[in-house]
Amino acid sequence: MSGLVLRAWLRDWRRRPLQRVLTLIGVIIGVAVVLAVDLANQSAQRAFDRSMDEVAGAATHQVLGPASGFDEAFYRDLRMAGWRDAAPIVEGPARLPDGATIYVLGVDPLAEGPFRGAASDIGDAPVQRLVTEPGTILPPAGWFRASGEAHEARRVLEAAGGEHEVTLIDRAAERDEGPGEEAGDGAADDMGASLWVTDIATAQVLLDRLGRLDRIDLRLADNEVEALAAALPAELELVAVESRGQAARQLAQAFRINLTAMSLLALLIAAFLIYNTQTFAVLRRREVIASLRLVGVGRRAIFGVVLLEALLVGVIGTVLGALLGVALAQVLVAQVAQTVTDHFFAVAVTGVTPRPLALAAVFLLGVGLSLAAALAPAWEAARAASPAGTGRGGLERRARGWAAWLALAAIILLLAGVGMIVTGAGALVGGFVALFLLIAGFVLLLPWVLAWTLRGLAALVRGVTLPRIAVRSLERSLSRSAPATSALTLALAAAIGVAVMVGSFRGSVEQWLGQALTSDLYVVPAAPASARGGARLPEGWTAGLVAQSGAVSVSSGTTQEVVSDRGLVDLYVVRPHGDWLQYLPLLETAVPREALGARLAADDAVLVTEPFAAHHDVGLGDRLSLAAAGGRRAFEILGIYRDYGNPQGTVLMTQAAFARGGAPPDGVGSFGLRLPEGADAEQAVERLEAWLAEQQRAALVTRPGDIEQESMAIFDRTFAITHLLRVITLVVAFIAILGALIALQMERAREFATLRSLGLLPGGVRGLVVLQGGVLGVFAALAAIPLGLGMGWLLIEVINREAFGWGMDLRLPWVEVGETVLLGVGAALLASVIPAWRMARMRLVPALREVP
Amino acid sequence: MSTGTTQHPGLNGQQKADRMSESSSFSGPVLRLIGAAFAYPGEGEVLHGVDFELAPGERVAIVGESGSGKSTLLHLAAGLEAADRGEVHLAGEALAGLDEAARTRLRRAKVGIVFQSFHLIPTLTVLENVMLPLELATDANAAERRERAGRQLTAVGLGDKGDRYPEALSGGEQQRVAIARALVHQPALILADEPTGNLDSRTGETIFGLLLEQVRATGCSLLLVTHSHELAGRLDRVLTMRDGVLQLSEATEGVPA
Repeated sequence: MSGLVLRAWLRDWRRRPLQRVLTLIGVIIGVAVVLAVDLANQSAQRAFDRSMDEVAGAATHQVLGPASGFDEAFYRDLRMAGWRDAAPIVEGPARLPDGATIYVLGVDPLAEGPFRGAASDIGDAPVQRLVTEPGTILPPAGWFRASGEAHEARRVLEAAGGEHEVTLIDRAAERDEGPGEEAGDGAADDMGASLWVTDIATAQVLLDRLGRLDRIDLRLADNEVEALAAALPAELELVAVESRGQAARQLAQAFRINLTAMSLLALLIAAFLIYNTQTFAVLRRREVIASLRLVGVGRRAIFGVVLLEALLVGVIGTVLGALLGVALAQVLVAQVAQTVTDHFFAVAVTGVTPRPLALAAVFLLGVGLSLAAALAPAWEAARAASPAGTGRGGLERRARGWAAWLALAAIILLLAGVGMIVTGAGALVGGFVALFLLIAGFVLLLPWVLAWTLRGLAALVRGVTLPRIAVRSLERSLSRSAPATSALTLALAAAIGVAVMVGSFRGSVEQWLGQALTSDLYVVPAAPASARGGARLPEGWTAGLVAQSGAVSVSSGTTQEVVSDRGLVDLYVVRPHGDWLQYLPLLETAVPREALGARLAADDAVLVTEPFAAHHDVGLGDRLSLAAAGGRRAFEILGIYRDYGNPQGTVLMTQAAFARGGAPPDGVGSFGLRLPEGADAEQAVERLEAWLAEQQRAALVTRPGDIEQESMAIFDRTFAITHLLRVITLVVAFIAILGALIALQMERAREFATLRSLGLLPGGVRGLVVLQGGVLGVFAALAAIPLGLGMGWLLIEVINREAFGWGMDLRLPWVEVGETVLLGVGAALLASVIPAWRMARMRLVPALREVP
Repeated sequence: MSTGTTQHPGLNGQQKADRMSESSSFSGPVLRLIGAAFAYPGEGEVLHGVDFELAPGERVAIVGESGSGKSTLLHLAAGLEAADRGEVHLAGEALAGLDEAARTRLRRAKVGIVFQSFHLIPTLTVLENVMLPLELATDANAAERRERAGRQLTAVGLGDKGDRYPEALSGGEQQRVAIARALVHQPALILADEPTGNLDSRTGETIFGLLLEQVRATGCSLLLVTHSHELAGRLDRVLTMRDGVLQLSEATEGVPA
């Protein structure tokens, strides 16, 4: 390719920098969002996997007991019986003063050797301190460096055992290494686990497990498994390590797929922007193309020079986008990690490290997208032999022809999408494929619908010359107006879809909380919500609580992880209020509701939550083998109820059923108190608090409103990242419509100059341009409503059900829909301000001289 | 030198333009340039102090080579560009005293322009193109506008093509539409910039004849820029633009410029 040809082509960058900047912004934002979400996802994923792996260590099996743990004497018996490859563990979540949730792993440092890697790679010096100094704890590798603390610090930890001051030791310093120079296989990785390792005795105090263990890790040969299982007492179970954490892993993955889909949507919208500006870049230079062709430059060279420019834009945009993406990922990763912590497992991520593979993938994506967007304009440019051939007229005629073909393709895609939904093919990924088929179909249908809408509108304003010019001009620039409108429609539809999903979800959760919280007051362990699972209160408090509060009814509930034939499952054992089933949001039952309470108390029967039924593919009448008091028994599923408290799903069992043949659970997770009608709740709270202080147990009294507030705060945190992505998507769409309107008006500059020379005032020109922006905005907003509602429905009925097993009532958030419509129209009007200002101020004579 | 300008002290641009468009008492030159000079940004001066007057009903041609400044003179006359020095008076109003909006209002009331490359609005039908100046410059209602535009189209021989779009017409037909559009609101002055430049000689001849016929019929003044001395010779007066200076052509010597 001739250097002069290249120069002739690229010098346009200096003449029209704004167009190039807009194209670059499209690539930059598209690449940045995809990379940021990918990095945040990967970092959280690694932190999660690492936490799970480090908790399990090199163990092949674990001995597990009830939620309140089991007697530590069993560990001694086990070793004495010859099982020496064993390590006792006490574990649970806790909270730092700054609110961060951490995971405390209490180990016997002397037995740990063969089990854990980086997390408990604690070296000789710390071992001595951990064992000899109570209240010492090793934060994860890198914590001291990140927090800026010296080698030793003191903190108050809040956990199941209440508040305790602990001494934090820097494991690197204790080994005479420099600060943060941890040994091990990448322990200094900034997305290391949030495991805080301590001696088992300290953990027992922190987590309220004095004299008890949560589990024993074992390394067993295949032939040893059966022998040990047979030797265990009834309340203990031997489980293979790989069965733990599977459900949480799958759920965390579903959450990440949701985020990735959102980021791809942002990229798709950026693709429209890139396509639009690339087409414009070629059209603006049709004279250059014609002149080059006339002096003998071949079609291939023209094709090549356009693609080369796209390559340059792609490379520059991708490099800048990658830099922005890494910065954005720092913001996102904190939110992703918080969500994983809220719902699945405590992880801590202090930063992101771009992996070469992720960078390479996003590089290919950004550059590939730029090249793909330039292919059509490059082909147009190469095909043309004269200025007339490269003009808009030819392109627009072809665009109008394409619109019909695209509409045909759209109908095929829409039918394919509907087919996938109806047949339920492909589960979660299938749901997303169906979603993208529907989006693609809808978007491909838009040019045709837009063309007919504009024709109809032009007919409506026949005789009103200026509006007619505005509308007809849009229709005649379909190759420009359709992609811009599609970009805006897509962004607005995504906003509506997410609003429908989040609104429906939020509404359902609020309703569920209202139904589930049937007590007037709750007494719970004084631990953070995410750390409450393992904390227990004495069963014997019931009488005291009634005496202090005057409660007419006291319920209790305890969640524990138990072994079942479906792996480890969360079991919620309740001693409910008499009328509890009236309030439980039952979806279906195997027996009449009036008989359900008696069956649940008298028989081996349970209820399961909707997510549990979905994840474990169980239904009414199925039987679950569960570890209850006295050992494993088969329980019949008598009902499925709605629950948003645990995405992994929960089995609900009455205390009467649990305790049949054995003792009730050791300790209570929470008490619910119903006060007499007209009782003063404030007084009851005061008396209870005074009484609790005397009990010297860390417990607190909460009201349903507090729990609702806390739950909704977690809910809102979960969706904060979705809102952020929604805003980014709208920004990209705004830039797309701005670029399209600028292009549209610049192409029509000669027309505007003619109108001005005929006597149209500058204000009239501004009005025309703003009217065009308004028409596109209103069309995009109206088109976004059905697409957005469809996306919302699909997210609720297919994707969330497949991903999380959550069902929810569809609520149409008309206020948000209205806001989004106004936002779309407003964005389009705002985007038309700059081109309107430019057109009204342009010099007429040069514009009149432009080649038509 | 007296400018003959009708000044309206204390009026804003809108009021001035309205007064101008309403006024029918003005009897001085339709167009008057006094020492008008102009340079495009970053370039040398194109017009060097041009003095020129166009009487009501007078038809004047300006000939000259490419780049001599003929079209620029037309742009100054239409108020599309503002003179750097000197004065330009349109229908008695000094353009220098008007802001952009007032200049536009004056132009749409008093001037009709015929361009070399037609400049029809592609998104409007032929009839709508002709209706446009009526909509911008008059209070006529839609029915009146339609009726007047239809009449004007018939006058240029395109009465049956009002519903077509410009792209469906030949070059000659498009220029007929442009002439109809320039005349439909009965301006005082028609400015024609190479109106036959994009047409073959035979069509050009026809279009030129039509333009003259229509101008005569309406009684307005005509200032026409052309390369063709032959066509120019058919007007009342021919001036030659040479290097930005307006000179009396030999053929019409004796007639004051």
